[in-house]
Formats: sequence, C-alpha cells, structure tokens
Amino acid sequence: MKEKTSILVIGGGVAGIQASLDLADRGLRVYLVEETPSIGGRMAQLDKTFPTLDCSICILAPKMIECYRHPNITLLTYSEVENVSGSAGSFTVRIVRKPRFVDEAKCTGCGTCTQKCPAIVPNEFEMLLGDRKAIYMPLPQAVPRITTIDKDNCLYFTRGVCKICQKLCQAEAVDFDQAPEKITLNVAAIIVSTGFNLLDPSAIQEYGYGRYKNVVTSLELERLANASGPTGGHVTRPSDGNIPDNVAFIQCVGSRSLGRGVPYCSSACCMYATKEAILIKEHKPKSEVFVFHLDLRASGKGFQDFINRAKENWGVQYIRGRPGEILEDPRTKDLVIQFEHTVGREVRKLRVNMVVLCPAFIPQESNKNLSKKLGVKLDEYGFFEAKDPPIAPVDTNVPGIFTCGCCQGPKDIPESVTQASGAAARAIEVITITAHRRAQ
Amino acid sequence: MSNKMPCSPPENPQEIKVLRQLTKRSLDAKKLVYCDECGACTGSCPVAGILPTHFNPRVFLNKLSLEFANVLTDAGLWLCMMCYRCHKRCPHGLKPPEIFLLLRNMVIERGYLADAPAKLEEILEILRERIPLPLVYIWLCLRPCEEISKRSKFDSLVLDVLQRTLANSKKREVAPLPKTQKEKTAVIGSGPAGLTAAWELVKRGFPVTVFEALAEPGGMLRVGIPEHRLPKEVLDAEVAHIKELGVEIRTNTPIGKALSFNDLLEEEGYKAVFIATGAHKSRRLRIEGENMKGVVHALSLLRRANLQKQPRLGGKVGVVGGGDSAMDVAQTALRLGAQEVNILYRRSREEMPANPLEVKEAEGNGIKFHFLLAPKKILGKDKQVVGVECTQMKLGQPDESGRRRPIPIDDSSFIIELDTAIVAIGESSDISFLPKEVKATEWNTIAADPLTLETSMPGVFAGGDVVSGPASVVEAIAAGKRAAVSIQRYLKGGEAQSS
Repeated sequence: MKEKTSILVIGGGVAGIQASLDLADRGLRVYLVEETPSIGGRMAQLDKTFPTLDCSICILAPKMIECYRHPNITLLTYSEVENVSGSAGSFTVRIVRKPRFVDEAKCTGCGTCTQKCPAIVPNEFEMLLGDRKAIYMPLPQAVPRITTIDKDNCLYFTRGVCKICQKLCQAEAVDFDQAPEKITLNVAAIIVSTGFNLLDPSAIQEYGYGRYKNVVTSLELERLANASGPTGGHVTRPSDGNIPDNVAFIQCVGSRSLGRGVPYCSSACCMYATKEAILIKEHKPKSEVFVFHLDLRASGKGFQDFINRAKENWGVQYIRGRPGEILEDPRTKDLVIQFEHTVGREVRKLRVNMVVLCPAFIPQESNKNLSKKLGVKLDEYGFFEAKDPPIAPVDTNVPGIFTCGCCQGPKDIPESVTQASGAAARAIEVITITAHRRAQ
Repeated sequence: MSNKMPCSPPENPQEIKVLRQLTKRSLDAKKLVYCDECGACTGSCPVAGILPTHFNPRVFLNKLSLEFANVLTDAGLWLCMMCYRCHKRCPHGLKPPEIFLLLRNMVIERGYLADAPAKLEEILEILRERIPLPLVYIWLCLRPCEEISKRSKFDSLVLDVLQRTLANSKKREVAPLPKTQKEKTAVIGSGPAGLTAAWELVKRGFPVTVFEALAEPGGMLRVGIPEHRLPKEVLDAEVAHIKELGVEIRTNTPIGKALSFNDLLEEEGYKAVFIATGAHKSRRLRIEGENMKGVVHALSLLRRANLQKQPRLGGKVGVVGGGDSAMDVAQTALRLGAQEVNILYRRSREEMPANPLEVKEAEGNGIKFHFLLAPKKILGKDKQVVGVECTQMKLGQPDESGRRRPIPIDDSSFIIELDTAIVAIGESSDISFLPKEVKATEWNTIAADPLTLETSMPGVFAGGDVVSGPASVVEAIAAGKRAAVSIQRYLKGGEAQSS
C-alpha cells in the first residue's frame, strides 16, 4: 500500500521543499526530484530576504537539511523526469538519475577531491562570478553533501588523464564508470515547482550588459553581497574590485514590455531592488543608491513600509523613469545613465560606479518538455497554467498534478511558500479521495 | 512664447474626428494606451538633450490624449529629427516619429495653423538661440522633398519658408562677439560637433580656431550628406555666420601633417583642444576583388558627388549594407545616372539599422532591396567589376547588438551581375594623428568621459563620431555643446567637473 501514498515533487527550490515537508509531515512518502546536484534553488542564491532582511540561506538551510533527514522524503538530486503515465491516484513516473560519478552512499562530503581537482570552471551557482572545480559541491550548504563530477569539464573525461580525485578519496566514492540509472515510481499526485529564470538582459542592448563590466544583474549582486559569495561579501564592482560609491538599480528590464521582453510585471523586482539597495547601504552607509522605477509595486504585507524605511532610514533615492541609454566611461569604467526624471520632466545624466539590472522573470526552458510529459498546459509565455486562476490557483488541467512557486508565474518567496503549502494540501485531497473511493 | 502663436486649433467635434482619424491611420496611436510614461523615449532622445524645454516626446504623447488641440500648435511637433531612437528604446515599440509625421501633415493640410510660416520662424528662433546650425537642423528635420513632382503641400510650404529664411539669412549681418577671455582653444574638425563647440566657446568670450583638413568646412555635413538632403548653400550660409561671430576656421590644415597635435599645445599656445574629427574612413568588406575597378566605398563616392566632381555611374549598381549611408549612397547613385540600384543586406528588413523613412523613400524611388545575402567575392573581368558572388543567409540567435546574427547557408552561392559595387558597411575613425597620451578604445574610437568628454590627456576633449562611432547630426551638436561647457570649466576652474 506504501506506493499508493507516494507523491512526486519536481523541483527542489523553496516551493518544492515546503511542499515536500508539508506532505512528509502528514505521513506521506515524498520523492523530491531536483535537476541540479543540490536542492535549494534560487532562494539559496539570495543573500537576504525582504521585507525582514533575514539571511536567506539561514532560513532555507534548516529546511533543506530537514528534507534530507526526513524519513518520509527521498531526495533524487541530479535527476530528471523522463516519462509520466497514468492518472490521478496512480501515476507511473520514470526518473533518470544522471551519473554524478560519485557514489552517494560512500561520499562523506569531506571536500578533499574539490581541493585537489585541477580543472577550474566558472560556477553557475555564483552566476559565473566565482569559480568551482570540475568535481564540486555547488554551494557550501549543499544538500545532499555529496560531490558531483561535471563530465564536460573533467580532465579525465575530456582528455583521459588525471583521476586525482579517485586517488585521494579515502571513502573510495569516485566511480568513473557510473551509468545513468532509471527508476520507476508509482505516485498518487505530482507537484511541479520548477521555478524561474532571469531574462538575459543583453537583449536590451542600450543597457550594455555583457559589454560593460560594471553592469550586473540583480542575482549577480546577491552573490556579490553574500558572505559566502565570490567576493567574500564585499560588494565590489567587477572591473576593478573597488567598492562602489554609488549604485543605480534599473527596474523593469524586459518586464512590462510589449515590444521586446515580456509584457507582464515580474512582481518581485520592486521589493528585491529595495532590499538590495539597503544591502548596499548596510555594506557602505556613505554610498548613494538610486532606484530607477516605473511604478513602485509594493503590494504585499509590510512591503510599502519597507520601501518607506528604505527612503527615510537608508536614504535610498527613487527616480521615476526608465533610462534611455547607458554609456561607459572607457577610462574609469564608470557608467553614465541618461534618463528623464518623469516627475520633474528633467532630462539628466547621472554618473554611477555600478549599475544593477532587474531583469524579467521568465519561465524555465525545460517547462516545454516537462509540460508535454505531464500533459499540463503552459500559458502563452511558457509558465504552467492554472486550472482556474481565482479559485483553483495551484491546480492544473490534469487532475492530480499541481503547481506552485514561480513555475506558474513570477512571485516572491512568501507567496511561493504559501502556494507550496496549498499545493500540498490539494495533493493530500487526491489521496484521501482515492482512498475513500477504494473503501467504497 | 508659444501661446502668442497665431493658430486656430480645431473646435471640439472636429478635434474628436481628427483624433479618431489619427487613431485609424496610425497603428501606433492605438498602441498609445499601453504607454506607461516610463520616459525611455525622452531619456534617449538626442533632441530632448539639447532642447529640453521645447521637446519632450513622452510629454508630447501624453498630451495627445489630454490636450489634443494644443498639440497641433506645439513647437515640439516640428523639432523631432526622426532618428527613431525612441522607437528602438520604447518597451512597447511605439513609433513617436510616425505620429509626429502624421500630425505635421495633418496640421498643414487641414489648416490648423493659420500662419504656418510664422510657426516655422518661431522654431528657427528657438534653434538659433541654442545651436549654430538652425537651418541645417530644420532642413534635415523636416526633410522637404527636392523633386518638384513629388512635393506635398507640406513640402512646398516648408521649402518656401526655408528658402525665404535662407535668403534673409544671407543678407543678415552678424557682428563679431567680443573676446573677453585670453585662453585659446583649438577645435580639430569642422563638422557639426566642432562647429557647435567653437560657436559655444566664442559666445562665452573665448578665442577659438577650427582646423579642417579639407578645403571647405562642414565635415560630414559637407562631404557625407548628399545634396538632395541638404543643399550646400544652406551649410555655406550658416558657416559664414559662425565665422562672422569670430570663429576662425583654417581649412586645408590637417593635424598631423605640417602641423602636429603637440604643436597646437606647445608652439601655437592653445590651452585646450577639442577633437571632433568624426568617422571618415569607410569600412572595408575584406573580400576578394575589393580593389577592382568599379568597386567604390560609400564615403568616397559621397565625397566626390558632394564636392561637385560628379562621377558618372552607369548600368546596374549594387550597394552592400543596410545603414543610413547605404540609403544615401543608393539615392545618390540614382541621381548620378545609375539605371538600376540594388541594396544587398545580410540580415532581414527588421534588423536594418537605416532610418525607416529613408528606406521608404528609397523604395519609392525604385531602389530594390535584397535581404539575407552576403557578398562572398567580387567578380571581375580585366580588373573591372562584373558581379558579386553572394551567399544566402539565415538568421540565428541575437548577437551582442541585440539583432539576430546572420548565418550563411551552405552551398547557396549565386551571382548577381553588377557594373558598380558600392560598399556601405559602416565608417570608422582615423585617429593615427593623436599622441599616445590620448588613449583609444578597442574599437578605434577615442576613450572619453561620456559626461565631460575629457580624454586621458589633460586639456584635451573629444566628442562626436570620433568618440561614439557613426551617429546623428544632433548627437554631434549635443557633444559640441557639452565640450564647450567642459572646456570653459577646465580653462577657468582647472578641471572639467561633471554636471
């Protein structure tokens, strides 16, 4: 009977973690599938959260570890959903466990292999601002604490030499012959929480992302501000490593754009930009911070107060206007922002040391594939579509499959967590109804 | 000033009718409801940069729904240069220039301006106060059609006023401005950036000398913009005024030959230098056969056509490129006697950087466009061009310029027969005359502060195309104004503080 009360959660970000914990605490068996080597998702990359300015990983890590330790949760990291069949109450799911070339049962996470690995690779978790090795743990708080070999960059796999990690591993966990493993699960319900991505802002070419070194994205700034990040928590500018005296945030980069980018509002940017503005002020109180915005959308509880505090207590300057052009001073790598202060009707130029772009939230590319496997509809942008947005926001067109978090639209952490608990509750209903029907 | 203007705005019912008609005729006016008033249009507008009190596209578009009648008599309506940058920056892809164009025609044709000539005079007066080339500006801005048969009511009216103003302008005498300051400034290059900087400095009482390599001043306005877009007598009249004000222009004086850059500072005693030499080198295709007879580069053809050495072009002409100079050179080729002009561009129409109005005009004149093909080799017979071998392209992912990258399709070569091939794939600057202290960027432009235009050498400033790469006349004028402010600060305060 055990497999009848199993539930599959796809995506191990904060929404997936919350849904898994809720379900597991109710005594259900949860399989949490995550594509990358560690759970944690986007929230693990953030430095602080709004509106309370709590340390993000400090809130998330205990939940991640709980997922790992929970007797009712099976973590399937570095795994992907290959095939889904069946219907509510009894889905058959085939999952591919990608080879990490490290035996999960043996690895102790001591880190000797990562220290000695000679292949250095830009770290995706650090938004490519820092480095990792070819055998790596994506973040210090990785769950599970197991290393993974990145086959594309490993010297043994690319050139046939090295194997130093194997020689050094006392647990003898490194296994270059590991093959993909397929497992089949029978689950009663599926919760999708695959999260979001950020639009590549180089598409908005006048802001110079990719051309100008000191134009970064908001997620890159989170890593720069983070104590375990590539700069050890010093917000420094990429061109010279200096701490900037003035920083400008630009909102709606690709959001609310019918012509290029996406037409919807990305909903979290006004708040996280405010949070990041405060972070910069916390790091260097004398710095000047500007936020270029269209409409400040502070619709959650305590959000407007948060912005007010940013203005009053921290002196963050809000400017209504979308900049028209950013030019780089080729000598100092400073940036000159050309904009219209639309409230004062003034056309001005502003020199800053660093610019942070807040790009649009976009759906994961993998949603297309996953939606086909699940038979769940995507909306016109590629987010998962709700069955009925007002009254069934976490249901999908397929009974027994639910969504939560940013995979169905841009949202912030509190809302993602709320949806996750909602999706978990809805999934439990499926099980109760099937059990009830069976009893009849 | 503007409320004194003689005008008769439409009465209410008609106003609504007009607005409806506008909405119907222009797709963009319909899209206006999505405008968030983000200000990206104004923030990127080069005209708003130099005339902030008179031109603000965001406010203008906003007025369309609130005070439509006033819009028709607003001076701003006539100031848009139609550079389409606002369209490129607008998140919703609105096309303010086309709305302005539509309204301009409507105002003239429906007679909402009782005294249109007076309005144009008023606009010229606004420009005269702020820039040294008001007539050049308005000529390029209102683009009156030079062919009599194709002139609209609007064109005739505009031309009439402009020609009258030109005649008056020639008669008008300007008294030299007093030199109240001692510090001399050298301006290298007499294009719009250089002339503007010189004019602004002379107005501030500083003595200025402009050095020009060619025989006549004007830079790109003289040699790059074809006669059909800007009659040379307009430029002559305005340059004459600038000279009368006290700007010394030394033509036939290239810097780096008899007179070196360092001579200016050391021997001639100039305290500040503004480099505004533009981008006068045509970029080369770098393919086989480019040195053959019958292959010309856009700028050299435009230069020859402009300096009255009318070259003759016969038969079938192919223009490689999709920018403004490709359009200019194609139109010029037609006027030089080409029987057929073909534009070959490696991406599609959407990615073409040329001004859409120029493209439309070119098409109207029978110029043919061929998209998604790139020349691979220029074919010749006895060192004379007979055609180009082209490769068919397809579009891939966007590159760093945000436009989709053209990718050659294998085994898709074919031959286009041509008598003349014109290469118009962009311009670059020649900055070899500069000393090492003036640092360059990797794109062979001068590394200058975008705010103050300072270079890495104290007292040396640079602006216009030589810094930004090929750009518009308005941007060059804006750079000239900015340079003058910085130079004044430098000469009087010791450093060029940012504004």
